[in-house]
Amino acid sequence: MTKALLVTGAGGVGKTTVSAALGVIAARSGLRTLVLTVDPARRLASALGVGEELGPEPQPHPDEPNLWAAMLDASLSWRSVATKHADPDVADRLVNNEFFIAASQHFPASQSYAAADQAATFVEAGAWDIVVVDTPPSAGGIDFFTAPAQMADLVGGRLLRWLTGGPLPGRFLYRRAGRPFLRLADSILGSDLLERVAEFLLDLRTTYDGVSDRGRQIEALMGRATILVVTTADPAPIAEATRFYRELPDVGGTPVAVIFNRTLPAEWSGFQPPDDLQRELAENVVRWGAESLRQSDARTGFAAVHHAHVATIPWVPDPPNDLDGLGRLIESADALPDGLFEAP
Amino acid sequence: MLDKRLVVVSGKGGVGKSAVAAALAQLATRKGKKVLLIDMGESAGLSSHLGVSALEFKPREVRPDLFAMRIVRSDALIEYLTLQLSIRGLKTLSPLARAFDALATAAPAVREIISIGKVLWEVRERNWDLVVADAPPTGQIGSYLRAPVSISELVPTGRIQRQAAWMGGTLSDPEVTRLVLVNLAEELPTTETKQTLKWLDENDLVAPPTVITNRLVSKLSARPSGKGPARESAIHHRAVFTEQQHWLGRLEPDIALPYLFGLLTASEVAARLSDELEASL
Repeated sequence: MTKALLVTGAGGVGKTTVSAALGVIAARSGLRTLVLTVDPARRLASALGVGEELGPEPQPHPDEPNLWAAMLDASLSWRSVATKHADPDVADRLVNNEFFIAASQHFPASQSYAAADQAATFVEAGAWDIVVVDTPPSAGGIDFFTAPAQMADLVGGRLLRWLTGGPLPGRFLYRRAGRPFLRLADSILGSDLLERVAEFLLDLRTTYDGVSDRGRQIEALMGRATILVVTTADPAPIAEATRFYRELPDVGGTPVAVIFNRTLPAEWSGFQPPDDLQRELAENVVRWGAESLRQSDARTGFAAVHHAHVATIPWVPDPPNDLDGLGRLIESADALPDGLFEAP
Repeated sequence: MLDKRLVVVSGKGGVGKSAVAAALAQLATRKGKKVLLIDMGESAGLSSHLGVSALEFKPREVRPDLFAMRIVRSDALIEYLTLQLSIRGLKTLSPLARAFDALATAAPAVREIISIGKVLWEVRERNWDLVVADAPPTGQIGSYLRAPVSISELVPTGRIQRQAAWMGGTLSDPEVTRLVLVNLAEELPTTETKQTLKWLDENDLVAPPTVITNRLVSKLSARPSGKGPARESAIHHRAVFTEQQHWLGRLEPDIALPYLFGLLTASEVAARLSDELEASL
């Protein structure tokens, strides 16, 4: 059975690098490993052996036979919502519809739904022992877990009912006359805009059964996944990590650990430089010592408040650009939870 | 920058955008201006940089002459309909607001125009000397800046069209609006900032932005010596400096802000950054 390892956290904390590094270690331990990533830095993409051609199809690493990588693609998955769950002629209309294209870019849950759908597809495929998922940072990432339900709600026509005044059979019945606010909206927006939106929503609604079934499958897979939260010791990412610990138990599961990335050595904390140390170096170590102390206070505080398992990955100033560099990142990590790569 | 009427602050997630927005607003207040700081996003970041509880739609005076608010889309929409489109006399606006919400899910630019429209309305009403917007990240900022144009294309006539016209005009007026992009001297933020600069250059919606690169360490001349933390921290510092210089070479900022060591709270960070900004402006 394929294990899903979901790596969540705020943007900018090195989540993509940590996901890739975990993938390298899993692959080197003999597990067939797929890393699903979003928007990797150029150096990281080349470390994963995929250069700039990384696409939605898993590609094997040229030097590491157990490692594959693929890129999550939100727009592609929206097309598949249409092609998988709508009649062919409706699907044609949908994928070319201006609102469909806009919704795929704008609906906050859509990127997350797309990512969750693709991740679930690879987990179901059974071709890998472990799938490491670097979750998209949109809306803090928590919506990766709520997206399936939100999508079902969207296509299920909650919004459509506001426009049309009730669940409607068949093609287009736009009850303008019965709804004064729609007449008004019409006068503001011009005659056909709301009509076009309502037509689009009616088409979208035909995908409801498919999307809600799929949503339940995705949620079931999420429920069995192992969740890691990545953060740094800075206030904004910690606030995001706090949200995960507070809200995830309600929607997906409890994280097994929080990883503080870019951690400075604890022994620098409050270090008193010897008197004979050159002044510039003494000032330097005092500054970094204060930073290290701040970081360890942040970790201790987080662990106490959330009863969290805290792991650390050291701050490496120049990011890894090859497999060995990625591997070293995890080898130098402290207190990673046991059994991270073991089968569920 | 602070002599403009609107400063819009964007940047990739994690670069300190909200901290810089809060710092700019505090600095302007110190210079004797009456300032409105607007959180256009949904994170709790801005309020923590001010050291206050969660912000609401109604502006609240968080320091003398510094008011702060958060855009709540449903409230902003109702205000837009009543104030800007002069729709009155409805018993309740909420059904209309819900219809718009449906539209905002599907139609391009509707949700963006409601948010940026509120910001620009506050600029136009002249209740403030300066409005500072903690705007969405660079990944989305284009659709906000372009929203007036997109709306004009979507709704070619009528009241909305006229509103969109002055909004676009306000954004593009270099005497009124200044865009700030916050960056870090790292690969992903620098790549994204450069992409944004290119897009802005091609689209001509606002004057060329000010780039602020945050969290820069200064040069350490002394060679690492001694042992233990003294030596290790010197090696670390020099490695961070070298990496940052590489990315500074790719994108030279207008303003450089230092790495702040050992600061515990978000409000300390914003206060210190406002001192640093004062020194560089």
